[in-house]
Amino acid sequence: MSYLTVSNATKQFGQSFMALNGVSVSVARGEFFTLLGPSGCGKTTLLRAIAGFNDLSSGEITLDGSNLRVVPPHQRDIGMVFQDYAVFPHLSVFDNVAFGLKPRKVPASEIKTRVTQALDAVRLGAMAERLPAAMSGGQQQRIGLARAMVINPRLLLMDEPLSNLDAKLRIELREEIRDIQKQVDIATIYVTHDQEEALAISDRICVMNAGRIEQVGTPQEIYGNPQTRFVAEFVGTLNTFTPGEALDAMLGQLGLSVPEAASWSVRPERLGLAASGSSAEGAAVLAGKVTKYTYLGREAHVQVETPVGTLVVQVANPGMSATRNEGEAVSVLVPRDAPMAFGADSARIGG
Amino acid sequence: MPRFNFWTVVMILTWVLLFVLLFIPVGSVLISSVYDQEGNLTFANYLKFLGEPRFHQAFINTLVVGFGGLLGALLLGSIMAFCVSRFVIRGGRFVSLLAILALVSPPFIGAYSWIVLFGAGGVVRGFLRDIGINMPPIYGVGGILIVFSLKFYPYVYLMVSGALSNVNRSLEEAAEGLGLTPWQRTMKISFPMVFPALTAGGLLALIHAIADFGTPRLLGRGYNVLATEAFTLYSAEVGSNMSMATTISVILILVSMVFVMLQRYMSRRNVYHGNMINKPVRIQLKGWRNVLAHFAVYFIGLCGAMPVIISVIYSFRKTSGPVFQDGFALQSYERILFNLGDVVRNSLTFSVAAVVLIVMVGTVVGVLVARRTNLNTALLDGAFMVPYVMPGIVIGIAFIAAFNTGPIVLTGTALIIILSIFIRRLPYTVRTTASSLRQISPSMEEAAISLGYSPFQAFLRITVPLIVPGIIAGGMLSFVTAINELSSSLVLYVGSTMTMPVRIYLLILDGDFGTAAALSTLLLLLSGCAVYIAFRFMGRNEQALL
Repeated sequence: MSYLTVSNATKQFGQSFMALNGVSVSVARGEFFTLLGPSGCGKTTLLRAIAGFNDLSSGEITLDGSNLRVVPPHQRDIGMVFQDYAVFPHLSVFDNVAFGLKPRKVPASEIKTRVTQALDAVRLGAMAERLPAAMSGGQQQRIGLARAMVINPRLLLMDEPLSNLDAKLRIELREEIRDIQKQVDIATIYVTHDQEEALAISDRICVMNAGRIEQVGTPQEIYGNPQTRFVAEFVGTLNTFTPGEALDAMLGQLGLSVPEAASWSVRPERLGLAASGSSAEGAAVLAGKVTKYTYLGREAHVQVETPVGTLVVQVANPGMSATRNEGEAVSVLVPRDAPMAFGADSARIGG
Repeated sequence: MPRFNFWTVVMILTWVLLFVLLFIPVGSVLISSVYDQEGNLTFANYLKFLGEPRFHQAFINTLVVGFGGLLGALLLGSIMAFCVSRFVIRGGRFVSLLAILALVSPPFIGAYSWIVLFGAGGVVRGFLRDIGINMPPIYGVGGILIVFSLKFYPYVYLMVSGALSNVNRSLEEAAEGLGLTPWQRTMKISFPMVFPALTAGGLLALIHAIADFGTPRLLGRGYNVLATEAFTLYSAEVGSNMSMATTISVILILVSMVFVMLQRYMSRRNVYHGNMINKPVRIQLKGWRNVLAHFAVYFIGLCGAMPVIISVIYSFRKTSGPVFQDGFALQSYERILFNLGDVVRNSLTFSVAAVVLIVMVGTVVGVLVARRTNLNTALLDGAFMVPYVMPGIVIGIAFIAAFNTGPIVLTGTALIIILSIFIRRLPYTVRTTASSLRQISPSMEEAAISLGYSPFQAFLRITVPLIVPGIIAGGMLSFVTAINELSSSLVLYVGSTMTMPVRIYLLILDGDFGTAAALSTLLLLLSGCAVYIAFRFMGRNEQALL
């Protein structure tokens, strides 16, 4: 039984622009559900429709069985965390967090305990009396998080909450968000354009593009088994083979045959690299020449010119000896289960 | 389908307000300029303007004082801005204070103080004559330009020093790395960066110079400009020629409009926001350069503030009738206390009433313009440009033309003076409110709404507290303008509604400088308090005075 349901959501701006084009999703109780997509894909429009800030052109939203679209936003009882924090600069940290408890007529003594708890949860207990203006972005977003959670909302919405923070803090805070969400067990919808963040934090991910849903699934399904070319490209990276005799020969060698396939692709980390002239069991071997070597510490990207096009091979844990020089002859190993086939409509059809 | 709610009502009322207080009066001016005394449609007034050498001269003179004021202000303002923002100047804050003093003192006080020093019987001139140096008195176009330069240089100074201290030092360092000499660097990097600020500040000086009435009136001695011509034609006891006065007003509006448009275009281009990290450092000069920089800054600052200093000193001088005696006394202030209490009271009540109206109406309309963006509000925003273009003397004449007869008769009332100040200053409040609202992220109110507050409560509890300091500060600055207003009140006042600037102007014409100086000092004290309060609320932001 799903908790939040959106069915056939459509949002039209002006005459022709469809920000949402028949989107349907359902979120379970306590689930961490992420809307992932490039900017302009409609993820924020959907989130704001659920929050009530922008109404849909058509479609239905129900929460716990009741129609949400008829409820004005301030009565929806939905907590929201904003990209720009939206911390009230004229109120102390404590008053910011207590702000949502006042219209709920919570007694003063209970406000004190609940706010203190919430601030402790986001590790801001010691800063309750400070004004937020001079605090760091990470601290301000923690206030935003505490403020949204302290009201025990029926649903928690987060609109790219980490995108204004630096990389290290982003990772640290996303772990905290994940832990806190599991503790309080509130269904959460999280919007981001960062695929790694989405994979790390979500129970399920909904990948959106141009106002439509491309795929909904667990992080493993989204990354490991993308159902459209868009998902495969947006989540992770992709090498696309150049069509031609060399590709047909390689597919034949691997025993792969999908007549309707319009294109074949492979993820860089699924490819192997070996000395020139090697052979391997259950994998096609492509002779190639190194054109570029990029060292990234825990991995290295080797760009190889092969008969089926330029491929990037990702090598994990590259030691000092793994360095490849430009022009060096190598073999690229393509395991049988690595290539993915996409049809002319870019839907996944095999591989 | 617009809903008929609070904002619709506000929108309608705002348009009504604009029509009654602005479009109809200004329209009356336009219309009455194409009718003769008998009420026949005629372009004779415009032909007369084109035909009469006297008007040609006034037109040319207006441009001369405008551009002269612009050049003088540019020269003084940019020297001061450059020195203060690039070199270590002892007492830099004091220098800025001098600039503010020059800015908030009424210009005709400047004119008269310079007459006291350098006029026909001027103190300094007399002293110089005693030691054998004969210099010409300050009257005429030269005097007007000196006074304008010293009065309006703060516009350039404040704009350019703001721009100069925002130029990213990395840019100059980059130019240095590319091998440019310091001179080339200044001309090719720093100058283009502050050019928009320079022009915007200079044009601001020009706009004020061509609208100014008091200075050419007192110092001109026959050097007439459009503003004085309009007033002479309007106020002549015999043969007052209202339609010719309105014709000149229209021409003044047109001239002013050109430069206001130009000024707004230039200030919009003023968008080189440097990053705040790599700000330019002030250099400590050594030896004669240091002396020279200090001399330049203090000379300009003190000359600009000279009228204020003179008025304060003269207000305490002993007098016998209008004639100054040796020694000091409080006679001038006693005269204010016993004879001019009603003038001070008028000024205070009119200004306070106007400011209260301005703040209330301006805030609501500002919210409307910022938050309900559609064609209507865009038009409204545009309509609020109109009062910018109107020299005070024109608003005065327009109000007389509109409210002398017809359905609403207001001439001779206090209300007409309050309303004329109100409509002239309203656009500033609308714009500052709108821009401060645009700076507040909409997610702030959305956060409050998601926490359970209705949209109206969210506005009241979140947005209002955030914009209130700005509104109070803006109100205080409006108060400064309101209480110093001369040119429209001079057209609109009657005996019982005389204000302090009008009284000062008349006292100066009567030669009673002691009382005028005391009234001016009082005026300055009030303005100073208002500026102080404004700075307390928004931080010391001199640019807000522009």
